[in-house]
Amino acid sequence: MGFLSPWFLLGLAALGLPVYIHLLRRHVTTPLKFSSLMFFERGTQSSTRHRRLRYLLLFALRTALLLLLVLAFANPFVRRAAAGPSDSVLLLVVDNSFSMKAGTKFADAKRAALQVLASRTRSRPAEIMAMGGRLEVLTQPIQDQAALHSALESIQPGDSRANLGELAHGVRALEESLHTPIELHLFSDMQRSGMPANFSDVELPPNVSVVLHPVGAVATPNWTVESVHAPAQLADPKDPKVSRVQAVIAGYGTPAASRTVSLIVNDKTIATRKVTVPADGRATVEFEPLDVPYGLNRCAIRIDSADGFPADDLSVFSVKRSDPERVLFVHQAGDRRSPVYFSAALAAATQASFNLQSIDSDKSADVAPSKYAFVVLSDAMTLPSIFENALVRYVQGGGNVLIAAGTSAAHRAHIPVFGGSTSEAHIYTRDGYATVGQTDLAHAVMNGVSWADAKFYYVAAVDPAQSRVIVRLTDSTPLLMEKQIGEGHVLLFASGFDNLTNDLPVRPAFVPFVDRTAHYFSGNDNVSSRLVDSFVDLRSAASKTPSEGVEIIGPDGRRALSLAEAASAQSFQLERAGFYHIRFANGREALLAVNPDRRESNLEPIPPDLLALWGKGSATPTTSTPGYAREKNPAHSIWWYVMLLVLVAAVAESIVASQYLGTQREEA
Amino acid sequence: MLQRFLDPGVLASISSLDLLAKTVVDGFVAGLHRSPDFGFSSEFAEYRAYTPGDDLRHVDWNLYARTERCYLKRYRGDTNSQLTILLDASNSMDYSAAPGRPSKMDYARFAAASLFYLAIHNQRDAAGLIVFDDEVRNYVRPSTRQGQLHRLLAGLEQAEPRARTDFTKPLLHFQNLLHRRGIVIMFSDFYEDPASIVKTIEPLRYHGNEVVLFHVLDPKEIRPELRGPAILVDLETDQHLEVIPEYARHEYIRKIDNHLEQLKERTQGAGMDYHLLMTDQPLDTTLREYLAIRHGGR
Repeated sequence: MGFLSPWFLLGLAALGLPVYIHLLRRHVTTPLKFSSLMFFERGTQSSTRHRRLRYLLLFALRTALLLLLVLAFANPFVRRAAAGPSDSVLLLVVDNSFSMKAGTKFADAKRAALQVLASRTRSRPAEIMAMGGRLEVLTQPIQDQAALHSALESIQPGDSRANLGELAHGVRALEESLHTPIELHLFSDMQRSGMPANFSDVELPPNVSVVLHPVGAVATPNWTVESVHAPAQLADPKDPKVSRVQAVIAGYGTPAASRTVSLIVNDKTIATRKVTVPADGRATVEFEPLDVPYGLNRCAIRIDSADGFPADDLSVFSVKRSDPERVLFVHQAGDRRSPVYFSAALAAATQASFNLQSIDSDKSADVAPSKYAFVVLSDAMTLPSIFENALVRYVQGGGNVLIAAGTSAAHRAHIPVFGGSTSEAHIYTRDGYATVGQTDLAHAVMNGVSWADAKFYYVAAVDPAQSRVIVRLTDSTPLLMEKQIGEGHVLLFASGFDNLTNDLPVRPAFVPFVDRTAHYFSGNDNVSSRLVDSFVDLRSAASKTPSEGVEIIGPDGRRALSLAEAASAQSFQLERAGFYHIRFANGREALLAVNPDRRESNLEPIPPDLLALWGKGSATPTTSTPGYAREKNPAHSIWWYVMLLVLVAAVAESIVASQYLGTQREEA
Repeated sequence: MLQRFLDPGVLASISSLDLLAKTVVDGFVAGLHRSPDFGFSSEFAEYRAYTPGDDLRHVDWNLYARTERCYLKRYRGDTNSQLTILLDASNSMDYSAAPGRPSKMDYARFAAASLFYLAIHNQRDAAGLIVFDDEVRNYVRPSTRQGQLHRLLAGLEQAEPRARTDFTKPLLHFQNLLHRRGIVIMFSDFYEDPASIVKTIEPLRYHGNEVVLFHVLDPKEIRPELRGPAILVDLETDQHLEVIPEYARHEYIRKIDNHLEQLKERTQGAGMDYHLLMTDQPLDTTLREYLAIRHGGR
């Protein structure tokens, strides 16, 4: 027992007060006059004893009250010995991250966990968890040995990346809900990459003791395909700028060696390269041209590493071979400038080829927008109604339209398709020009794009109601807005592409804007592969209309979603490595290649000193398995209980004192 | 209705003893008229045959006219008596347990004043007063002269409690002062040994006096109430004594009851009248006793 605020013990000097009142101060009793004491006798002895008894009770209560009050302020605590094994919950956590596929690590870990579970006393509750990308709770704290055993057996190695920070977070949450000591047994390869950058993220509550069971803790040399750079969409295999694959081969703890790297397309090896990887270094290998058939192609880079971790010798990616997509550019009859600027920017930017087809707005009546990847309306506010209706249906069905308002928007109350009302345009020529004030860089079309140098002379005033404003001018005038209509998107640029209302088309920032807009609209995010545990959006969250169900075929060839999930799921987490074939709600199909996080390929374990630090220095191996145990002897503050006693003493003192005072009054 | 003026609590609010005595006696007399068992005044007693030398004023001439015999008509109230009140003015008489209740001294004064009024106004008796504590402090000679009541009441007014009681010393003077036989009434709380009291007062009887002892006590003196241990101070000796409630509840009551019993037995045994007066009782007990003795109606 101790005190967290021992300075308050100086308040014990206040105990002198009741001592003075009860023992040192002379008691004054008011004498009562009586006509004659002829028949009275002295009763001093018994009288004094009676009074002393009562005074002593009052004295004891007052002293106790002061003593307890001082103790409460001094904040006493008791150290409880760490709970015995039978008092705590046995928490078995098995690492099933991607690195556990190396050698016999996972089997060893599971075997060790089963041994610990078998040595458990039957009355002791236990809980099973699996540590992958997130902490997976397999059981509640139960005593059923069969259920625990089957839960442990059901853990399979995954492709996620281990994170000890997630484990600590989960254990903290568990401790808050259980309020009982926890004995955590972690069966893992203790990868160094699993330790978060901030050590405080792995801090555990005081009554959680950790017993570590490292498996395969020795660093083994490992070669892996660290990264692959390949076009996600390919229109012309003979284009040397885009038709190539670059792969980086990395070695962890490896000597210099020559590795054979193979390019596999649709399960066929179409090219092989020899590359020399330096000791514990990286080497780049390039395949060109990338000749793939039309459609979605499953591609991969494989190395013959001949190391103990063959699972990371393969890196998959997908390539879509297709003809150039067509883009419809609708402009005013006399406008010859904007198609030129837009087509030049589109040709300069995109890897996937787009064919820009520009037509006058007057001739657009018989054009079907659904044949185009997306539609651009440049200063074309007056459209044939049949085309305008077709555009609306096109957008609601998942099509996308980019609208440059130009100068004609001021003549229309509403902007076609977008629907926002317009008012008097902002003309900045009198003051020179306006510049961009705010940019939403989180939006896909402005990610990494800066319009800070562009000068805007004429901007249509559009009501941005129900739309997301991506770019504003310095006077808060919305410049670029996006509105979701059905499954499609409409981007509204409140100025023009003709280099008259602004000088954006001749600025370098125009090219990446057009490039990102084209990719955003075509649904091609230009990524050939993704990481395990990343998410993919299945349907628009803002869409209120019922849409068709999505379909996901996982790496194992099975549907990854149930029917209910397919009808309503907004996003999907890619939990396994391999190829996911996805048909989105707007009808678009994609082949997503998913690879494990390559940090899992670095099998270097956490240094022992860091592990010992995590175990608070009490590196006491358990008797059954090697590991590091942490003993806790936490301090529990008991001031709350002391305050309860203070309350009881105060009430008792009040009762006794009031009785005494009441008697004195009556006698007087 | 006037009976309420006999309540000591009511009388305590009357500052003038003269008015107080008149109030008490008038109320008392008014109450007597309603009593069938008690009567007084100069009423007819008997006929006696005329003998030479008798006053002819007392001859019943109506009877002589009818019977031609001469008889004298005699009345009871024809004789006068002498009332002497001995008032104990020691400190112990100053005790009063309750704020609204008169002290024993006040109660005795009220009773004495009422008796004086009754004796002088109604009975035309001579009345005198002796105030004493451990010696005779004031003496008003018994008389029927004009202004005697005023002198007696003034003597009562001046009788403030002082010193302590001692019957032995003043009683020697009493015997010298009481020449003529009459009624002697003593007001005291009698905190003395009963045997000593009787032995001291008994000689008064030898002169043919009717001696009445009015024992004036506060109710709380007989049944004291103590809620806890307390220090009591003797009003006469200033002695301090620590007393516990258990004693006051049992032993004290036993002792005071024994004292009262002995006092009553010994005084009556000595041919004296004894009456215990509680200060919360009406004053008519005193007046009733006096009239009973005055007319020999006991």
